[in-house]
Amino acid sequence: MASARILIVDDDPDITEAMRVVLDHRGYQVDSAADSTMAMERIKAKRPDLIILDVMMTTPQEGFVLSRELKRDPATKMIPILMLTAVKDKTGIDFRPEAGDESWLPVEAFLDKPVKPDVLVQKVEALLRKT
Amino acid sequence: MENLLQTTSLARRASWLVTLRWAAIGALVVAATVSRRFMHIDLASRHLYVLSGFLGVYNAALYGLLRWLTRDSREPSSAAIGRVVTFQICGDLVILTMILHFSGGIENPFAFFFVFHMIIVSILRSRRQSYFQAGLASALFGSLVWLECCGFIHHYPLQGFAGHGLYANGVFVLGTLFVFGVTLFLVVFMTTSIAEQLRAHQEELEKANRQLQEKDTIKNEYVLRVTHDVKGHLAAIQSCIDTVHEGLLGPLSEGQKDMIGRAHRRTSQALAFVADLLKLTHAKLAGEPGISCFSLREMIAKALAAAKSRAEGKGIRVSVDVAPSVEIVCGEQVLIEETILNLLFNAVKYTPQGGRVELAVQDQGTQVLVQVRDNGMGIPEDEMDKIFQEFYRATNARAAERDGTGLGLSFAKQVVERHGGCIAVRNNPEGGCTFSFTLPKRTPRP
Repeated sequence: MASARILIVDDDPDITEAMRVVLDHRGYQVDSAADSTMAMERIKAKRPDLIILDVMMTTPQEGFVLSRELKRDPATKMIPILMLTAVKDKTGIDFRPEAGDESWLPVEAFLDKPVKPDVLVQKVEALLRKT
Repeated sequence: MENLLQTTSLARRASWLVTLRWAAIGALVVAATVSRRFMHIDLASRHLYVLSGFLGVYNAALYGLLRWLTRDSREPSSAAIGRVVTFQICGDLVILTMILHFSGGIENPFAFFFVFHMIIVSILRSRRQSYFQAGLASALFGSLVWLECCGFIHHYPLQGFAGHGLYANGVFVLGTLFVFGVTLFLVVFMTTSIAEQLRAHQEELEKANRQLQEKDTIKNEYVLRVTHDVKGHLAAIQSCIDTVHEGLLGPLSEGQKDMIGRAHRRTSQALAFVADLLKLTHAKLAGEPGISCFSLREMIAKALAAAKSRAEGKGIRVSVDVAPSVEIVCGEQVLIEETILNLLFNAVKYTPQGGRVELAVQDQGTQVLVQVRDNGMGIPEDEMDKIFQEFYRATNARAAERDGTGLGLSFAKQVVERHGGCIAVRNNPEGGCTFSFTLPKRTPRP
């Protein structure tokens, strides 16, 4: 699924750009959005195959809110979400996929920033394989 | 100044008075017996024995009352305990007066034992209460000797000890009473003055301590914010460097590769440092611990697997020995796991090729003892007490491994102490060192 569409939602342009380079290199079509509103517009315009979502953008919980919204909508609920989290830094809580409460934090995987290129690619490939 | 002493410490003092009274009862029986049998002083011993018996019953009742007030380790009101203390002192003054009555009255030098009560009440109770007790003691003793002097009540002389008839000598009685009263009031005056100064001083210290803790929290929150921001920038730098380092933007010359490699390494180190600092600061700031019960055995197995994969590269043998009875422990799972990992990774890091790392867990009843032993470089003896300090790295560790934040062990100490355990390290006689920490099976709620 090398030509899959991936949407990166992150307000840090440098991290977004670095991830874009990594995923571009792998042949993915990469799009990006700096906040939830822009992300929703992009998703409606063209449905991505995977969303990479930063937890904290304008507000500390923006990523959580967006992920819940996406999972509630039948049109988007099947899109896997890879959440980039620096939550551990803010809360000291170690988020693990197995600890995720489906309804509270409905995402498929977590990664802590900064993400190593090979780890990012691995995770993305695994998530796309599942769908 | 009333009720300034902490209720619990007042309750402890009240119980201490009960213990003292048991000793006093014993001493009274022994003194009465010795005076009569061996010193041939004629005493109204039977009366004294009866009084001892009464004192025993009275003390047992007080013991029961205090137990009831502090039952289920609940906090009694300080006023209630205060009243018990006052009641005890009043009761003691009356009983001491009765003992003196049956043992010579004014002729008995034990009359000055009233001073002890004055000291105790001045330390434990308010200034007003203390003067009241001094007044009561003077009145009780004064009435006794006056009634004996005037012949209204019987005088039990100390035959064979004091000159008979002193109790009826008006000048002697007046003089002694005067000195007695002045002594009691002076003792109260001096003791309450000192006690009040000490209490004020204690208050100041407590206040200063509270302020220090508040400042420390503010500092930690500041560190957290700054560190978090720094981490954001470092993560972005690292991500950008990674793309170049991995050759995703085209091939690099040898020189470019080398420089980017250096930048990559230093950013990784800075990130590791920031991550450790964040962990430590979180542990310090965390309020109510999120306690859960989990299998320590399973956690150890997981930590061991992680350590083994690191050790393999260096050919280090990692072994484990968990006592069969060790199973469920209640505490902050993530923090405890991180602590065990920290110690294991440290051991692997500072043990040379082909070395040995052993993890042992012993069951000690209410707690477990976790030990991580290696045959690595050990720790210089004069640095033993410093290695748990923040940012401190032992000189030999720094020389052997450039990487290291000096925060891992302070994190471990913070976590262990937060759970009510203690952490220590010692060098092994055959080389290397052993880190050990205790962990209560059930962490007390703060």
